[in-house]
Amino acid sequence: MTLFHKKPLPYDLSNFTILIVEDSPHMQFLMSQMLKAFGVGEIFACESANDAIELLTVMQATKKSKHLTAVDIVLMDWLMPKGGSGEELLKWIRGHERDSVRFLPVIVVSGYTTQYLTATARDLGANETLVKPISGNGLASRIVSVIDHPRPFIKAPSYFGPDRRRQVVPRTGPERRVTQAQEVRMD
Amino acid sequence: MKVEIYKFANRLKERMGSAFAKQEEGFLAPSAIAEADKLIAEICATSPETIAKHLKTLDGLWEKLRDGDAAQRQDTAVQLFATAHEIKDIGAMCGYDLLAYFAESLRDYIERTELNLQAQIVIVQAHLDAMKVVHQRGFRKEAGPEAEELKLMVQKAIDKYH
Repeated sequence: MTLFHKKPLPYDLSNFTILIVEDSPHMQFLMSQMLKAFGVGEIFACESANDAIELLTVMQATKKSKHLTAVDIVLMDWLMPKGGSGEELLKWIRGHERDSVRFLPVIVVSGYTTQYLTATARDLGANETLVKPISGNGLASRIVSVIDHPRPFIKAPSYFGPDRRRQVVPRTGPERRVTQAQEVRMD
Repeated sequence: MKVEIYKFANRLKERMGSAFAKQEEGFLAPSAIAEADKLIAEICATSPETIAKHLKTLDGLWEKLRDGDAAQRQDTAVQLFATAHEIKDIGAMCGYDLLAYFAESLRDYIERTELNLQAQIVIVQAHLDAMKVVHQRGFRKEAGPEAEELKLMVQKAIDKYH
C-alpha cells in the first residue's frame, strides 16, 4: 500500500489515427465529431470500402516501415450499397500480405441487429461489433476494449483474425486433441 | 491441422505513452463521452427536417420510377435504396424506430430484383405513405395500434404483389 495512490488517468488518444468507413454522410459526420470529442488526433473518413482500400494502399506505399501503418483502428459500416461493403473491406484487410494491414483492429458499426451480422463479422475477423444507434458510451467502450484487450490472432485453414474465444469453457468428455497447448507455435 | 497463434505487444497502449503502460483497464474521460452524447442530441434535434428532406427525395424518385423509362429503372432503384438506407440510419440513431422499420423494409424490397415494375411502384408507394404518416404524426415506437395498422397496410401491398 502506498501513501499516495495515483488516480488512473483517462486514455489519451491524441496520437491515434482512426479511419471511418461509412457511406451515410450523417453518420460519417457524427462519428468523426464523436471521435474528435474523444480527443482522437487524426481522423480519416471514406464513404465506401473501395475508397478505404485505396487510402490504405496509398498509406502503405508512402510509408517507410512495412510493420507500421498510419491507421490505428478502422471503424466501418457493414452495409454500404455503393463501392463495396464492409464485408469486402474486412476480407481485404484480413487477407492483406502486410502485417500492418492484416492485424488492424476493426470495429464494425451496423444498423443490422441480427445474429447473422454478428456471427459473419466475427467469422471474418472483426475485433468488435457495435449496433446502431450509437451512443458515446457504446463507441467509447469498443475503442477502450480494442486498446485494453488486444486478442491474439489465430491463423487456421478456414479463419484468420482475433481469437474468437472470449472465455475458457471447461471441457467434458474424452480428450481427442492431438496437439498439446505447448506445441502451438507462437510468433 | 496447423494452427498458428500470433501474440504481440500492445501497440495501441504504447502509442499513448508510458503513463498507461501498467494500467490494465482504461477509460475515456466522462466529459468526452458526455460531449459525444451532446453531439448526438444536437444532430437529432435537426433530424425531423432532414427526414422531411429525404422523404421529399423519395417522393421524386417514386415518380421517376412510375413515369421514367425502363432504362432508368436501375439507377432510380439505387437512389431509392440509398435514400431509404439514410432514413433508416437517422431513424435508428435518433429513436424513430417505426420510421427506421419502414425505411429498412423499403430498402430491402428495392433490392428484390425479381419484382416487376408495377409491384415495385405499389410497394414503394405503400412504404412511402406509411413513412409520411409516421413522420407527420411523430410516431416513434415500433409497437402500438397505429404502428400495427400502418404495418398491416404495407404488408397488404407486399402480399398483393409478391
